[in-house]
Amino acid sequence: MAEQILDQARDLFEGQIDFEGQKLVELLVNVALTLVGAIAFFAGYFLQDIKLAVYLGLIGTAAVFVLAVPPWPFFNRNPVKWLPVGGAAPPANLVVDDKMFR
Amino acid sequence: MYSSVVRLQNTFGFFTTVAFAVAAIIAASDLLAPRTPSVGVLKTTNVQVVRGRPHYYSSKKEEYAIIKFSLDADLSTLFTWNTKQLFVYVTAEWPSAGGHGSGQNATNQAVIWDSIITSPSADHLANLGPVAMKKLRRSAEGKSIDPNRGKLSLKNQRPKYQITHPTGKLAEQDNVVLRLHYNVQPWVGLLTWNQDVEFWKWKTLRNNLSKKFVLPAIKKKEEKKKKAGASS
Repeated sequence: MAEQILDQARDLFEGQIDFEGQKLVELLVNVALTLVGAIAFFAGYFLQDIKLAVYLGLIGTAAVFVLAVPPWPFFNRNPVKWLPVGGAAPPANLVVDDKMFR
Repeated sequence: MYSSVVRLQNTFGFFTTVAFAVAAIIAASDLLAPRTPSVGVLKTTNVQVVRGRPHYYSSKKEEYAIIKFSLDADLSTLFTWNTKQLFVYVTAEWPSAGGHGSGQNATNQAVIWDSIITSPSADHLANLGPVAMKKLRRSAEGKSIDPNRGKLSLKNQRPKYQITHPTGKLAEQDNVVLRLHYNVQPWVGLLTWNQDVEFWKWKTLRNNLSKKFVLPAIKKKEEKKKKAGASS
């Protein structure tokens, strides 16, 4: 019982996502942070307000953190399909380390 | 990017890159803002030389010059969104008595007055009491830049610092001039000192020298005392 709960807590903390999700989150972080930087600079420059630029940059970055860090369901849409455990018997002529596999 | 911790690290890592790049662009954007500071008036109004001691227990007597001056200058173009504060100071300069090869400075230069002008974005950093701070903040309420901050108008300003020379001799020195200097301290970027050479949109500070003047002789207090003693 306790082990189950611990397993769940660990999964939640680790927050693993699938390979497609990893590709997506990388693209998302790069594009979104660049955009936040650009918006912060131009808003600050045209309104001539450095505090606005700083706060826009920080708030935007915080939003990107919220978007990227937790294992949202849309990062887990393509789970890896593993072969079944202990399924079919190994083929008869399988060679491992120059030895015939029984 | 497979786990939360890795995503946290990667996102933060790229955030630092973006922050650095934006800061560099902000610093570079200063070059697009023209700087055309100008000086209307810089002149002495009252010059005195007195004898005094460097500190209370000193037995050494030195000559101190007290130079009152008037200044009219418009430095408002130095205030942009990236300006944190402006440091303005006035120096008195005079050539060395020994000239070249005497082991003395070729030119003597001493600050007689200075002032820090904060931009509204840096008002909270000003070293002021609560009342003056409130007044300063109210003067630029709702404004991110206040061009009025750069307009200086001083009439018969008392110097902050009385100046002397290492030799302790200063009276009757001629060829003394006052010079106005400034330096712009940005939020991000390089500190820029007075513009001695024109640099694209940044013009030099013209007319920032006063006319040459002569420091007067020391006020003769002792003679007056003697006279007063003789007459009584």
